[in-house]
Amino acid sequence: MAAPVAAAATARTQALSLLAAANNHGDLAVKLSSLRQVKEILLSLDPSLSAEIFPYLVELHLSQEILVRKSLIEIIEDVGLRMLDQSYVLLTVLLVLSRDEDPIVAKKSISAGTTFFCRILEEMAMQFHHHGKVDRWFGELWTWMVKFKDDVFATAVEPGCVGVKLLALKFMETFILLFTPDGSDPEKFANEGSRQMFNVSWLAGSHPILNPATLMSEANRTFGILLDFIQSAGHFPGALTIAVVSCLAVVARKRPVHYNTVLSALLDFHPNLETVKGCHAASVQYSIRTALLGFLRCTFSPMIESRDKLLRAFRAMNAVDVADQVLRQVDKLVRINERAARESWSGKNNQANHQNSWDLSKKRIMPQGEDDTINGEVASKRLRYNTNIHLTPQVQTRDSAHGAIYTNGISSVNHPSDSELTPVEQMVSMIGALLAEGDRGAASLEILISKLHPDMLADIVITSMKHLPSSPPTLTSSLATPVDIVVSSSINSINSPTPPAQLPVDPILPAGSSFSDGPSLNSAIADPRRDPRRDPRRMDPRRLNSSTGPSLPVGEGKESVLLQMDISTLSSKPLSVPAVTAGAGGSIHPTTVEHSEKMVTGSSVIRINNHPDCRDDLLTVSKESLYPSKGESSLDVPLSPCRVDERIGETRFSGSETNFDLDMVSVPNFDQHSPPSSVPDFDRHLPSASTISAPEESYRELPSVPLYVELTTEQSITVRKLAIERILESNRHVYGFDYNKIRMALIARLIATIDAGNDVATILKEHISVDHREFKGHDLVLHVLYHLHSMAILDTDESSPYDTVYENFLIAVARLFLDALPASDKSFSRLFGEAPHLPDSAIKLLDELCSTHHDAIDSERVTQGLGAVWSLILVRPNERKACLAIALKCSVHSEEDIRAKAIRLVTNKLYHLPYISEHVEQFATDMLLTAVNSETNLSQTGPIAEGITEAKSQTTWRSDSLWSGTSDIHSQKDLQTSRDVSALSFSEAQRLISLFFALCKKKPSLLRLIFEVYGRAPKAVNQAFHRQIPMLIRELGSSYMELLQIISDPPKGSENLLTLVLQILTQELGPSTDLIATVKHLYETKLKDVSILIPLLPSLTKDEVLPIFPALLNLSPDKFQLALAHILQGSAHTGPALTPAEVLIAIHDIVPEKDGPPLKKITDACSACFEQRTVFTQQVLAKALGQMVDRTPLPLLFMRTVIQAIDAYPTLVDFVMEILSKLVSKQIWRLPKLWPGFLKCVSQTQPHSFPVLLELPMPQLENIMKKFPDLRPSLTAYANQPTIRASLPNSALSVLGLDNGQDSRSQMHPSDATSSIHGAALT
Amino acid sequence: MRFRYAMVCSSNQNRSMEAHNLLKRQGLDVASYGTGSHVKLPGPSLREPNVYDFGTPYKQMFDELRRKDPELYKRNGILQMLKRNLSVKLAPQRWQDNAGDGVFDVVMTFEEKVFDSVLEDLNNREQPLMKTALVMNLEVKDNHEEAAIGGRLALELCQEIEGNESWEDTIDDIVAGFEKQHRRKLVYSISFY
Repeated sequence: MAAPVAAAATARTQALSLLAAANNHGDLAVKLSSLRQVKEILLSLDPSLSAEIFPYLVELHLSQEILVRKSLIEIIEDVGLRMLDQSYVLLTVLLVLSRDEDPIVAKKSISAGTTFFCRILEEMAMQFHHHGKVDRWFGELWTWMVKFKDDVFATAVEPGCVGVKLLALKFMETFILLFTPDGSDPEKFANEGSRQMFNVSWLAGSHPILNPATLMSEANRTFGILLDFIQSAGHFPGALTIAVVSCLAVVARKRPVHYNTVLSALLDFHPNLETVKGCHAASVQYSIRTALLGFLRCTFSPMIESRDKLLRAFRAMNAVDVADQVLRQVDKLVRINERAARESWSGKNNQANHQNSWDLSKKRIMPQGEDDTINGEVASKRLRYNTNIHLTPQVQTRDSAHGAIYTNGISSVNHPSDSELTPVEQMVSMIGALLAEGDRGAASLEILISKLHPDMLADIVITSMKHLPSSPPTLTSSLATPVDIVVSSSINSINSPTPPAQLPVDPILPAGSSFSDGPSLNSAIADPRRDPRRDPRRMDPRRLNSSTGPSLPVGEGKESVLLQMDISTLSSKPLSVPAVTAGAGGSIHPTTVEHSEKMVTGSSVIRINNHPDCRDDLLTVSKESLYPSKGESSLDVPLSPCRVDERIGETRFSGSETNFDLDMVSVPNFDQHSPPSSVPDFDRHLPSASTISAPEESYRELPSVPLYVELTTEQSITVRKLAIERILESNRHVYGFDYNKIRMALIARLIATIDAGNDVATILKEHISVDHREFKGHDLVLHVLYHLHSMAILDTDESSPYDTVYENFLIAVARLFLDALPASDKSFSRLFGEAPHLPDSAIKLLDELCSTHHDAIDSERVTQGLGAVWSLILVRPNERKACLAIALKCSVHSEEDIRAKAIRLVTNKLYHLPYISEHVEQFATDMLLTAVNSETNLSQTGPIAEGITEAKSQTTWRSDSLWSGTSDIHSQKDLQTSRDVSALSFSEAQRLISLFFALCKKKPSLLRLIFEVYGRAPKAVNQAFHRQIPMLIRELGSSYMELLQIISDPPKGSENLLTLVLQILTQELGPSTDLIATVKHLYETKLKDVSILIPLLPSLTKDEVLPIFPALLNLSPDKFQLALAHILQGSAHTGPALTPAEVLIAIHDIVPEKDGPPLKKITDACSACFEQRTVFTQQVLAKALGQMVDRTPLPLLFMRTVIQAIDAYPTLVDFVMEILSKLVSKQIWRLPKLWPGFLKCVSQTQPHSFPVLLELPMPQLENIMKKFPDLRPSLTAYANQPTIRASLPNSALSVLGLDNGQDSRSQMHPSDATSSIHGAALT
Repeated sequence: MRFRYAMVCSSNQNRSMEAHNLLKRQGLDVASYGTGSHVKLPGPSLREPNVYDFGTPYKQMFDELRRKDPELYKRNGILQMLKRNLSVKLAPQRWQDNAGDGVFDVVMTFEEKVFDSVLEDLNNREQPLMKTALVMNLEVKDNHEEAAIGGRLALELCQEIEGNESWEDTIDDIVAGFEKQHRRKLVYSISFY
């Protein structure tokens, strides 16, 4: 004995010294290895001995070393899970470390904590399950776990390291999964060692520590937090948003109860992520896609039902292929499983009836043998098991409808006879559990209901309505709400021959005594003949109910206590007293009573009692005028739903109530399920035959009518307003917030009775506008509007007061939106789009919004208004005409900003609509013609205009029949001005024609009209045309087939426009061959004006340009300059049509008399060339002259050009001398038209021209000497130089008077000089 | 060696192996997988691919193809690729069948379909460990040249992530920066083990 003790003591000492080392040693490696050894020791020791070391161990959490803290957590996890009962100390440290500043440590401890959390839950459930009790220490651990949970939840929402928050989110997901009942088989958890996660459905109602209802409601709240995350995703890093999406997706897939909510949240998720810095939008979007893809893979019924919706979403993401592929895979798996199921079914047909709840998520075929063991299980489990069955009255019908296989992505099988827990029934059971909670549960229940998808809620109601009693005995029963019906349904469906067994089975009652009844009950159910679901009468809920209803037990002792408490909490006597009486006397469960009120009123009776402060407020406001008695009870009277409704509808006390409640809840679905009760809520005004439960007996049992207070009209209005305020106020207290339908209905009715749109709108202002989207104010407004509208329709009077109320309310709300919300808000447009009817005043409001314009802020309003107009045109055929008129009116608005916006709308959106395009076109044409004809007398309108307008009256353009309805609105004034003011201003012209030009972009064939009217349009209009057309042509781009047609056959008078168009067409891009061909053809056939070819010149070849060159030259100087520029510019592909030298030559080639252009034009052209010194450079001139000099005959202007050249470029002199020399050799003196020029040139270029002069034959030289006597001295001096003189013939000398032979030596010099000159010229 | 990386493509032959090879040579802790149902290699024609089961050693494929048509498979680079692969690891592994390989911090995929498969698979697993995994997709065409480029980019990306204290805080910036620098789209998601 001593040895182990001693060993333990040694181990302890060793561990402590190791811990000291871990704490104090300087080397990290030593610390860590010490810790590892400590762990070994702790694991080897007896738990109680280890626990003694724990306090020393946990001190390490103060260590500076991250790795030490991390190792500590590992040890805690390893050791703590081994000895849970001792782990209390460890958990406290874990809690501290989960807030560690180092993310690694924090993450590690959250993950370890989660493991503990699950493990502890599991152990507690197991222990209770096996031993019927739970150790006390679990309670302590659980307290710490709850703290841990709170801490982690806080981490998730507080700012901090994303990595840690991700884990916190994951923990939230785990939490939701743990505490949201799943449809799986509770038997599972009995199988020790299976890794099935704990689920709240394992818990029996009376667990000493764990309270399923509280936990479930907390899970729901957590789910709400995750949803909130998504809604405000714009503020978080992408990683966080992605994680939330994936967590929600997991929840939706594993707990179909939440599926619809998650789906709509994800589908509505369109945050403007681009603006958020540090958020990768594409990835966030992709995470949604991944989630939806995951849903597609699931085959739970709600997911299958939403396939269309999912596919639509995928279509929007351009991912239909992926979705289709997944669907094919899934369908294939389903088929395989079906086959397997059939095989298994045919073999085991006989035993199959025993089987009940399959585990939906387990994805495998459960062997039949397992089912037998189930039958031998403990009774308490059996109880739950049965409960499940009874809560699923319509399972079979669903099965047959859907082909019955529900898989979770891989495979699964469902037996045709298997009952299952559909989401609806899961919900029902959850609600049941919450009801059992009493007051605490009620709060959660409201949250739950508010979070519920309306469809789901409707399903719940419809499911449970099968069990409505055929004759509601009392007021209370007629107040029945979904939940109480659900409760009774669970009772009713157990159509067992042993009445005592019924009560205990009620799932919401923690009735421990009933466990023993389980087995017998089970056998009763297992017997197929007695199975209630096989009972043909089952299909008729009333019958079923009537057979079982009377046998329902009246409350046991425990329940009556509950009832008493209820009464005491209800201060509104008039209502609650009858309710209680009824409950006691009838067959309805007391719990029902309590709950039904909460459900029905939502905000009134119970609500008010829960919030005394709120009531006090009201009291102070209203008591003087309303309640002389100041009595508390009387205060509540007008606010209780019965009273309110009574006043409004003037119906009797109970019958209408039922009707009211049910239809409120079932509105979304009533056309599918169509029980008689779901007639729209205004059926109160119809013969009351359709109300489902207003049998005469109920009147007899009615309690005395509460005190009736006579109010004046004013008072009652005030009361109603107060009521509205109060209902709205009550919503503030509900977490997660959603106007539930009943509240909406109440408010709608109240507003209907108060004919004061503005006042009410003011009351609603805060609620509707400020939080319009989040708080679903929109739903409320629409609800009100529809209610008012239906009232108005039902009212047969000519002028129904409701019409006015409706109109006032609509306009008031609309103005409210405009005043309170930013222009970017869509609420306004949505309101008009979805309102049941738009009165004229609404259209007028819209018109004002669009066309009044004061400053920059208003400009956004205009956008908003036009946006609304557009959506109305799309969705409201009745208002289409009026809205279109607004849009069109704005499109010719004098404010350019408004006009531009409207034109964008009209052309880009409206013009595409087939039912509108004609009108738009007509209107635009009219406006254009108005502008064009503004100067001419209208009686002389052109043939086109007459054709279009069928001019009824010659003085007005509005005679157009198409527009007779709308023309009143589209501003007579505009037309008036355009008619009266004879000279249209430029801006006015712009105003009128802009729309037409914009339309041309969409429909180029309209262009022709522009060309047609161009000729006769006033100047201002033409200016406007010129301004507009470049943009238009550029927009049309390459698709100018229409344009080509026009070009090939331009209307008369449109030449200028045509040229402009051609210029634009060729400005940026080279013209197409089509265009060139068309224009050339035009030039050759119809239009002889060569100027239209100018824009095309760059693209023409030399051969094409040369023939037209004379014609070009004949144009006005500036046009020729332009043409010249085009020719020289050339296109990118071909280079210039002519080089500058070629141009010069071409000019010189023109013979004046033959081709037409007078000589003056040609000389001008030459001068024009010389002006462009950068283009016509020295080299260019030299080249051109060099080529021309060889021509025969020489061009007429040759000498002129030579002279100009030498003027422009004196350095050309040597080159010119060569030219002159050539001319001499060509006997220039024989060309009388050139000879003077030659002489002039020679004279101008002296002394350089002397050598050339001396080359001339003597007669010519002599001639020159006579003509230019002043040349002689210098020439003589030049020739007299010895070198030159020597080379000169005597005759020349004699002409110069040098023939006396003075110096024969000097004869050598001139030749030298000449040669040197020649040499210079050559270089 | 802080993070564990997984490179995933369809057949665990070309893109994932290229990246695996590169990362491994840079000393990163890396594994590679395919998500297809089979390993498919090009054959003599489009309709006749060579199909293997995952787990068939690269060496075996190499020998088989070399026997079949050494010219063809040398020309289209398959033999060289297989040779490279067999120096990296034994055989192609299927992502879905190797959940036992443990936890990866970063999973890179090279095709959207593969990305979807990996996410779907991770989401279908039990996730008891509370450990985040970053899954990223970089579109890379399945040919040798693109794979080489893709591998380099993957390496660069992984090194960038490796250099960060906690990728959760910076991943949005890393991805945006990468997209900007290389003008390639990148998508990431987060899953859990």
